[in-house]
Amino acid sequence: MIHLRDVKKSYSRGEQSVLACAVDRLDIGTGEQVALIGRSGTGKTTVLHILAGILRPDCGEIEVAGKRLDKMGESARDRHRGRNIGMVYQTFNLLQPFTALENVLLGALFGRGAGGDAKERASSLLDKVGLGDRMHHRPGELSVGQVQRVAICRALINDPQLILMDEPLGNQDKTTGGQVLDMMLQIASDTNKTVIMVTHDPESAKRMQRTVDLASLRSGVAEEAAK
Amino acid sequence: MKLVSISLRNLRIRMVATVLTMMSIIVATALYAAIVVMAEQTKARYEGSIGGFQAIAGPNGASELELVLNTVFNVGEAPGRIPLEVCQKLREPQGGRLSRTRVRYAIPQARGDSISRFNFPVVATLDEMFHKFEWKREPLKFAEGGAFEFSWDELIVMSKALAAYQNAVREEAENVPPRPLLKEKWKEAVVGSRVARQLNLELGSTVTPLHGKLGEFGTHEHEEAACAVVGILEPTNSPIDSTIYLPLGIHLLIADHSQGVFLKKPERGKSPVQVEDQPADPMRIGLTAIILDPLDHLGSHILRTEFGSHAEAQVAWPQDVVPKFLRQIGNAADALAVIAWLVLLVAAVSITVAIYNTMNERRREIAIMRSLGARRMQILTIITGEAALLSFFGAVLGLVVCHSAEFFMRALVEDLTGVYLDWSIFRPWEFWLVLGVTGIGAIAGLAPAVKGSLTQVADNLAQNY
Repeated sequence: MIHLRDVKKSYSRGEQSVLACAVDRLDIGTGEQVALIGRSGTGKTTVLHILAGILRPDCGEIEVAGKRLDKMGESARDRHRGRNIGMVYQTFNLLQPFTALENVLLGALFGRGAGGDAKERASSLLDKVGLGDRMHHRPGELSVGQVQRVAICRALINDPQLILMDEPLGNQDKTTGGQVLDMMLQIASDTNKTVIMVTHDPESAKRMQRTVDLASLRSGVAEEAAK
Repeated sequence: MKLVSISLRNLRIRMVATVLTMMSIIVATALYAAIVVMAEQTKARYEGSIGGFQAIAGPNGASELELVLNTVFNVGEAPGRIPLEVCQKLREPQGGRLSRTRVRYAIPQARGDSISRFNFPVVATLDEMFHKFEWKREPLKFAEGGAFEFSWDELIVMSKALAAYQNAVREEAENVPPRPLLKEKWKEAVVGSRVARQLNLELGSTVTPLHGKLGEFGTHEHEEAACAVVGILEPTNSPIDSTIYLPLGIHLLIADHSQGVFLKKPERGKSPVQVEDQPADPMRIGLTAIILDPLDHLGSHILRTEFGSHAEAQVAWPQDVVPKFLRQIGNAADALAVIAWLVLLVAAVSITVAIYNTMNERRREIAIMRSLGARRMQILTIITGEAALLSFFGAVLGLVVCHSAEFFMRALVEDLTGVYLDWSIFRPWEFWLVLGVTGIGAIAGLAPAVKGSLTQVADNLAQNY
């Protein structure tokens, strides 16, 4: 599902170049649920953005869902991301002027299209996560847990092969957030989706099938910490 | 959900800025549309209204344009008067020099009164207006009823009797003949289709002429000249529709008209007081115009020659005067249209500035959409769409404002210019105007759209607002 080889990404800070991340080799299979951990500044989010096609690495090969992202143009990467990748952020990144239902439909609009049965699918997903009576509320009118569930529905609306999560429990209480996360992981498991979650929280990492320490990927061999 | 719904939502959440920016588009569109409507309607009205009025004889001293505007288009006050004898000579088969002018008809007219708050002009004339006068080569048609009866011969008889009466009074003669009476059979009126529609007139309704125009100083109703409507003309889409025709006899015998009905002949060596002291000449009843139709080119040529050196009268040719007038209006309309386009340009710049200024606060929103898979082109489309929608709604509302203005001001405009604004017509160019303004708006939105589409996704997603 995912193959990264000799990937490096650095940023310019004035005349200085700062290495944001370096991955010699990373392979993740279809349906795997992987926690990506590492100290702050090791480039966890950068790797996630590279996998999503938001960032292009300076060098290296990236294959996601059978597509070589490093060889694709920006527009093609955007299209690929919309159709095949669902993303959940720490701050959930819902658009405030839109209702829960519309936020989920936005995912469809930029993914596989918001026509046809998209509205039914979005309603059904929101129903499934217990927001059937809140779908016409704006994010500001929802609790953090409800916003998280809307973000998850948005990530799932296009039935993506890969779900990327960036600290999805970062801003909320672990019990409620954990239950929602478990629910999502169950859905992903049932539909054989690959899930990669960036986290610095060991408790959250334990929910995943395996954990990859990003720092270890720099040495050439991924050291995996078995659960 | 579609991209356009995102554009609409973005406009809605910035409602105040949207409305303020839209105002300038509304003003520019309304202004441009109003200018084009006025120019177009004026052209159509004036070009379409001269059919029938081949030539007009009127007083010397007035411009030809004044004469045509007043006689054909009911605009402004009558520029002066000419004596009945001019008309008489034009009508005589043999006699005066002007008889050689070969005219099909010469119909006298006198105007100055009006009817109702709409200031529909009253034209006193002969029944020949409905038998001989040709509107686009056909006599005027009646939707209901028919013409009143007041012939040339009756006019002459009445004129002589009135002159005799006035002269006897002036000379303080012992046997003063009776003042001609306003016959009941003359108290009849023919009204144009618009007059009938606006005033809900039907056959038998009464119309009472006002001296001057409603609201002016000294205006009063001529109760003694209240007439019954005997005919309603079919629509001609010309100022005829807004005119009330009465027998010339009524006009002359109305109490305060008869005092100044006769024009005095200016003579060399006589002071104005001496001239005013002359006896009334029945052939010098004052008319405001004579409607003429030359028989042929030779007739036209003779008319031009004869009236070229006439002491009191001149002849105006609507076919010559109106195109010149329209060219002047066209130039003015072009200049105004340029101003309207400049206003539109300013409005377009205000769209650019308004949207551009929101780009910084929208970076995260755009980054989120990009992270969901939105391509740069889609972001470009959303922002350009905002500008286009803003302009589209502005243009549509501008046209609504223009049509509303036409509706509310049509009576005033017709009174001042003779142009009837038909507010209910949707003209094909209005579609293109909306399209053009929308296009200009979309172009105005391009700069902020490009800026928005270049938003760095990763950097802006990381921000936690």
